Formats: sequence, structure tokens, C-alpha cells
Amino acid sequence: MSFFGFEQSDLEKEKQRFLEGGIQDTENLAVFTWGEESYDGLGDALQEGGDDLNDETFGSTGAVGKDFDFSNTGGLHDSVALPGYPESSKDPLNQENPVFQTKQTVPAVQVQSSLKSIPSRSLESLWDDKSPFSVLPRNNGTARSTSSSSPFASQPTARGLQTLSHGVSQPGVRTLAEIEAEMRAATQQSREVTVHREKLLRRQQEEEYLREQELLRQQQEEDEYLRQEQEQQRQRYLYQQEQLQIQRLQQQRELLQQAQSTPPPRMLPVSQSPRFLEHQRQILLLQQQQEQQQILRLQELQEQLRMESLERQLRAQQLNNLGTHHRQLSGRSISPQLQHQRRQRSRSPPGTIPLQDNLSYHPQNIQLQQRLLSEMAQVEFLRDMQGSNSVEQEALRMEAMRKIVEAEKLEEKRRRRAAKIAHMSRYNDLMTQSDKDFITRIQVSQLVTQDPYADDFYAQAYGAIIRSRMGIHSQDERVLKFGSSGGIGLGIAPKGGHRRQSAMQKMEQQVERIVSNARRREEEKGLHSLHSLQGALGKTSGRSYKAAPRQLLQVDSGSASSSPTLSHAHAHISKQDSIDAKNKGKEEAAAEAAKLGREALGNAADTSSDLIRKDPLSRREILTCLEDLHDLVLKAEQLKQEEPLPEETQFYSEWEYEYSGVVDQMWNQLKVMAPIATSDPHPFMSLLSVAKGKRVLSRLARHFDNQQMLTMLTLLIACFNQLDVFKQAPLLDTLEDTPERVEVERQTNAFLSNVLHSIVSVISNGSLRLVTGLLGLLLDRNNVSEVAQTQPGLSLLTLFLTRVEVIKEGAAVLETELPTVEDANQWQLMFDHMFEQLTPDFPLLFPSSRIVARGFHLNQATIAVDIIDRPVWQFLAALALHALPEQQPILVHSLREKVLENVVGAKKGWVSDEQERRAKLHNVDLFLSALGLSSSQIDL
Amino acid sequence: MDSSTSSIQEPFDLIRLSLSERVFVKLRGDRELTGILHAYDGHMNLILSDVEETIMIVDLPEGVAEGQGTVNVAKRKMDMLFVRGDGVILVSPPSRT
Repeated sequence: MSFFGFEQSDLEKEKQRFLEGGIQDTENLAVFTWGEESYDGLGDALQEGGDDLNDETFGSTGAVGKDFDFSNTGGLHDSVALPGYPESSKDPLNQENPVFQTKQTVPAVQVQSSLKSIPSRSLESLWDDKSPFSVLPRNNGTARSTSSSSPFASQPTARGLQTLSHGVSQPGVRTLAEIEAEMRAATQQSREVTVHREKLLRRQQEEEYLREQELLRQQQEEDEYLRQEQEQQRQRYLYQQEQLQIQRLQQQRELLQQAQSTPPPRMLPVSQSPRFLEHQRQILLLQQQQEQQQILRLQELQEQLRMESLERQLRAQQLNNLGTHHRQLSGRSISPQLQHQRRQRSRSPPGTIPLQDNLSYHPQNIQLQQRLLSEMAQVEFLRDMQGSNSVEQEALRMEAMRKIVEAEKLEEKRRRRAAKIAHMSRYNDLMTQSDKDFITRIQVSQLVTQDPYADDFYAQAYGAIIRSRMGIHSQDERVLKFGSSGGIGLGIAPKGGHRRQSAMQKMEQQVERIVSNARRREEEKGLHSLHSLQGALGKTSGRSYKAAPRQLLQVDSGSASSSPTLSHAHAHISKQDSIDAKNKGKEEAAAEAAKLGREALGNAADTSSDLIRKDPLSRREILTCLEDLHDLVLKAEQLKQEEPLPEETQFYSEWEYEYSGVVDQMWNQLKVMAPIATSDPHPFMSLLSVAKGKRVLSRLARHFDNQQMLTMLTLLIACFNQLDVFKQAPLLDTLEDTPERVEVERQTNAFLSNVLHSIVSVISNGSLRLVTGLLGLLLDRNNVSEVAQTQPGLSLLTLFLTRVEVIKEGAAVLETELPTVEDANQWQLMFDHMFEQLTPDFPLLFPSSRIVARGFHLNQATIAVDIIDRPVWQFLAALALHALPEQQPILVHSLREKVLENVVGAKKGWVSDEQERRAKLHNVDLFLSALGLSSSQIDL
Repeated sequence: MDSSTSSIQEPFDLIRLSLSERVFVKLRGDRELTGILHAYDGHMNLILSDVEETIMIVDLPEGVAEGQGTVNVAKRKMDMLFVRGDGVILVSPPSRT
């Protein structure tokens, strides 16, 4: 730092300004960071040396901008980092803060000189600006200037002002009340600062002594200043004394605070709980009042001392060169200096200072410093320790962290599970066992029905199918029955699961109990039913007994007995109803019998005028009739299920009566017995014209006896040309994919699989005479060629022929049914007749030929010719078997072309694949083998 | 035919007659179906098989007067179809020629 160019007048002006309180302009720069936790200790080194070039650094900065960032002034040390003024911003603080300044005389003056070397205008302009930020540092400065006499309060005051009375400009000298207010505000934060203050004080003292030493050296060099120096020291000691008293008070307070469960000072965190601060306030206020007086006294002393020291220092520095002040003093060199200081202190003149006070101070001071040192050492040691073991510690820490995380995870998992269980078991034991039983009873009671099998029909049927497929032939239905009153369908037998099985048994037992209880109650109620019902619809006055009360509900006792819950289709017929039905049925049967008698006569006469001619059934009639038939079938099937054992004679006869009644109804509904000439088509044929009519026939057939079936078959054959499948058959010989053709195909398939199927059993049990008679009927009433050109007709004819073949073989025929010679002759007659009629149209029997004849081009890709022709080959083979030797050449001759076509096609490879070739040859061989020939014999 | 008339008591009985028969179903949104009716319920939900659906799409370009638009017909076939009852307007036996 440069001491040259320092003008006395400046000092005088400074003094003047200070006294006038106008000092705050420069005080705005006062920013004090020593003692802050973040303080880096650079202040020590900063003060003592390396300042040579400061002048060059700062002195030449002529123009300083006003664009300082003062918004960061929230933290005091932030303003230290004012751009461009790292040191000067700190130094004015020393200068303007007499409390700290008194013993730092040398650097203080140095700083001032450096400051003054900068054009004062720039400094003024810097702080005297109009920017909104200028308020903040100014407040800082004013706060410091007034409270600076109290070292412990200086910093907090500044902060307190900043926060409490932000933006309020303060005059240079303030009243006691103002100071008090500041102090009070300061105590709000005093706790967090006390530690810093302590450190600060110590460091200040250290520095003070160091500088003292320097001064002493100067004194030795310059004797003329010795006296002044002594005087100065005396005054300084006087001040020190004052300061120490304050310090002691402060230490006492600190001790008090520490006693109140505060952590050790060095560990005291910056932030403390506000509650604790509040607690401290009372004590602090008391102490502050004591301190106020001392502070005022100190201020006077400081003023005096400061002026003196300034004067002296300046003079001394003017004499000394700049270079003589090179000193590198670090914190480590404190201890020897302290000893020196002590020596110096003892040597110094007592003056007005009481000796005991001075003495009492020293040990304490040393103790404090030593403690500080040891703390520092400890911190350093710890830092070293950490540095050396950092890798190891890091590894340990990671391991620990990992373990902690794992444990936390496990704990979390466990807690979640526990929470889940707790959540689930929230309602445990909310219901008693009897509650549960009650609920179960309600639920089960909903399952009880009058007809468990029908209500569980699909499950039962499916279960039966599954059982039969699995090879288990248990006849038991999965139905719980309770006498005759009702039961529960159990669905399909559950597989495995013992627990479920037992639960099922438990339920069964419970249900049985419930039902029996209910029945008993019902019986009891039945006894009093009359009484219980009386008055149910409201009482009538005694007088109006004669006039019967108006009936609100028309309850028919007859229909009331039938369960309304049952669906229409599965209508259960109560006894009353069934008896009615039977009576009705009997009546109908009687009427029918009378009619039949008449018709039988008419049939015999055939042209009798008695014949009741009717219009053919309308479609709606057909459908309605079929619905009724379906109902009857379902009823009959259900009755069949309930068939009692023949031993239970009474039940059985009842059942039989009911069942036969239903079967009779079905028979009548089928209208088989209507005279053949009643209408065209015959009502029965009309019923068969519908797909579901065809389908229901196979179900009806099970309930009809053989005679009924035979009658039906006779009617069918007699009216074969009235069948839709016969009439619509030509449609199948087209390749057009029309909806009609699809419909015909559907109907044909339904006929083949249902109607013919149910008739097969009749024919396959029929005698030769029967078959002959049926064939005769067919030939008589139909054009056999046309019949043979339909798929159903061809199938029927094949059926006849195979049956006769079987009879001829004599394999499955009973002795009694052995055909007589007469029968055989009759058959042959019929066969010849049929053969004769078919002969011209043999080629047309083949669908493929018919399709070609209709002008369609046969393409193997679109239609499998061999598959549709196969039934024809089969028929022809059967025909060939029955054909007389003289008939066979005719057969072969008429079919020669067809046979050759197939054989050539197969042998020349005019086929798409091997499968087709084999199919062709198979078809041909089927026919040829019947004649004792083979396709291999055909030579091309 | 006493019994045949007696079995018809409510409208649904008429639909019942058409069970497993081909029916014509008119639907909302200019759609029509023909198919074999397999099942129905009180909501007129239907199960049809072998269904052909006909959709009328009326194209009414800008500036064309009402009723002047062209009607396009789209058809498609389905093996099995569940028809939700709320769209059914009409169920009838197909017209017989």
C-alpha cells in the first residue's frame, strides 16, 4: 500500500465528517465478514502484506461504474465479492469500524491511504448513486457505524436493520433509544452469531497484538515517537479493558446459552430454532441494558483513540518506506507472538488501567486462544484422517448404504403385506355363524326349483355327454331331489378338489335340512291356512258378512297349483292340468277315432264323398304345429326321464297314463293319420317341409312304437313326390350358387340325416313282404325314375335293396320272418318293374350327368364329381346284385359310357391328383365287382 | 287347429315360430339382415346364422335436392351373428315367392 500522497487535510476532513455524522457515505462500503463460518481465513494474510501493488491495482481505476450487483447483499460476506473491490470493500470497514479498528491502526491507515489514492470522486459516485440498490449497502453502513462500539452486536445489528428497518436512512449519530432498538433487533439473531463473534474477537486480538509488535519495532527505530506510542498503548489498554468487560459479559451469556442445551460453540449451526432464540431474549435484554452504558463510554474512548492512532500511524508511515512493512504473518505464528505480547503487556505502563483487570484478562485470553488452536488442529487432523482413508471409508459407506437400502426394502415389503392383510381382514368376524347360515339359506332357497332337472337341463345334458364320453356310465343325475316337491340341479360333477367336494356335501346337507324345515312349516301353515288367510285382504265389518266382500284378487285354485316360475317351453303340468289334458286328449282321441273310422272307410272306397278335403297347411300353421310338437317332445322326454320303476305299480300306471297321453298328442299333432287325399301336400309332408320339422321327427320317433313308425313310413313313401326335397331336387343339379340352392341343400341334408335315419330302423327290421309292399307303393304312386334322380329317393331305394339283400342272405333274419317263395316272387316282380322303369334313365341317375345335361360345364375344381356320384354307384351296385342275368347286360350296356369315361380318365391321367384317380376307379369297381367284373379288365 | 292358435299368446310367440327358420330382420341405420334365427330374448337380441347383411348407403352430394341422391347397396355375409336387440325394428319370415 502506498502511503505517499496522503494528505493531512484529508484526515482532517475525514475527522470532520465523522464527527458530523456524514461518515455514512463511505461507510456504505463497510462489509465485514470475519467470523462468518464461510470465512476463509484470507483476512489474516490480506492485512499483513502483499499490498505493494494495490495502488497499481486500485489506484488507477479511474472510472468505476455504478452497475454493481447489490442485490446479493442479503448475506454480509456476499458484498465482499463486489467486483473490482475485493480488498477496498473490506478495508473501509476497518477504517469506519472503530471498535475493531483501534488496534489495527497500521493497516487501517494503510487502507485509508489506498482509498484516498483513488480519486475520491469515483468513490463518492460509486456509493452516492441513485440506483435502487444503493439503499442496501447504506443501511449496512449506518448500522455498523452506530453499533460498532459493541463488538458482539455489530454484525447482528447490521443484519437486523437490513431485515427490520430496510430502507430507512439513519443519521450518523443516533439516540440511545435507537441503539437499544437496534440491539433488541440484533438479539434476534445474536445466537447464530455469537460463535462467530467469539472467533472474531480472538482473531482481532491476535491481529491487534501482531500489529502492536510491529509498532513497537517502529518505536525502537524511531525514539521520538516512543512517548506517543506509550500514550497510545495506554489508551488502547484502557479501551481493551472496557472491551474485555463486555467480552466477559458476553462469555457469561454464552455459557448460559450453552448450558441451555446448545451444542458446543464450534458445532453450533448457523440456524437455530426460533423458539430457542425467543427463550434467550429475556436474558439478553437484561444484559444489554448493562452493556449500553459501557458501549457509550467505549464510543468516546474509541473516537479519541482512533484519532490519535491515525495521526501517529500516518506520521510513522510517512517516515517508513513501503517495503519495510513486508510481513508474512500466518495464523500459525500466533503463539510466539502471544508470548511476546504478554511480555510487552507487562512492560507497558499501567496508566489508568487497574492492573488486576489487565492481569485477569490475560490468562483468559490465552486460554481462549489455545482452545481455538486446539480446535483448529483437531479439525485439520480430522480432515487429514478423512483424506487418507477416503477410499476405504467410501467403500464402507457404500456397503452401509446398500445394507440400509436393502433393509428398507424388506421393511417396506413387509409393511405392505401387513397392510394388505389388515385391509382384507377388516371385516373379519363381523358376521356370526348364524348370520352366515341365514345368508346361505336365503341363497340356497333361490336354487330350489320344482323341476331341478329341466332347470339345469343344459348342464345335465352336457354332463351326461361328458360322462358317456369318458366311459363312465353312471345313470345318476346331478340333481338333489327333495321328495316330490323340488330340488336343486348340481350341474356338472366337479373334478377333484376334496375341499370343494366336502363343501358341496355340506351344502347338500344344509339344503336338505332347510327344505325339510320349510316343508314342515308349510304343513303347519296348511292346517291353519284358512285362518291365516282370513282377513288378509282387509277385515269386513260384522254387518256386511252376508254380502260377500268384493274380491280384489281372482285366484283360480286350479291354475294356482302350477308353478309360475317355469318357462312356457318347459311348462310343468300339475296333476290337475294333466288330468284335464288327458280328458281333453281322450275326447280328441275319441273324435279322431270316429273320424279315422270314417276315413278308413273312405280310404277303402277312395272316392268316397266323405273325404274331408282341406287346404294344405299354411306356413304359419306348419310352424305353430311344429312348436306345439316341440313342446310335446320336451314334455315326453322329461316324462321319460321321470319314468318310475315298474315295481311301483301305482306310480308307474299313473306315469304310463300321462306319458301315453303325451305321445298320443304328438301322434295327432303329426297328422299322419290324415287321409292321403286330404290335401296336397299332405299335412305330414308339409310338416316335413321345414327343417325343424325334419329334425323333430327323429326325436318324435323315439316315442312312437313300431306300428306308428310303419304307418308314418308308408305315408312318407306314398306321398314322396309331395316332399320339398323331392320337388326342389332339380335345383341341386345346377352349379349356380343361389340362396335357393343353398336352402335346398340344407333341407336335403336335414332330411337325410334325420328323417331317413329314423326310418332306417323300421326298414332294417322289416320283412321282405313289407319291403316289397313299400316298393310297390313307391312305384305305384311315384315316378320311380324321378325319385331315383333325387338324393333322398336314391337313398331310400338303396335302403330297400340292401335290406332285401340282407334278407336273401338270410343272415339277420328270424325264422318267422323267413321269406316265403310267394314273397320272393312278389319282390322279384316289383324289382323287375322298377328296373324296367329305370333302364332308360340309368345315365341320368348320376348328378354329374344331369349337371352336364343341363348345359353346365363340369369342372373338377368347382365340384367333386366323384363324391356326388358315389351314392349312385352304390345304388347301381346294389341293383346289379339283384339284377337277373338277362338284366345285367342291359345295365352294363347303358352304363358302359360312364364306366369307360371314369376308367379312361383315371388311366390316362386326366385327373388332378392321385386321390381323384383312386376315387374314380373305386366308384367303377364298386359297380363292376357287383357284376363280377373289375376295372382292370377293361382294356383300352 | 285349436291347439295351434292357443299356443300364440304374445307377440314373441310369433317370433318363436320362426326359430331355426330363415328370417328377415330390419335394423336401424338402413340395414337389413336375412339369416336363420337360432335364438332370441325379450330384448329382441337375436342370434342368426348364415347371415347376409344389406346396408343402404344414400349418397347425397352437395347441391343435390332431397331424395335425388343415389342409393348404394353394400352386402356382406357372416356365418354367425349376434344382433343386439336395440337395433331391431322388424323381424319377419322372408317373403315367399
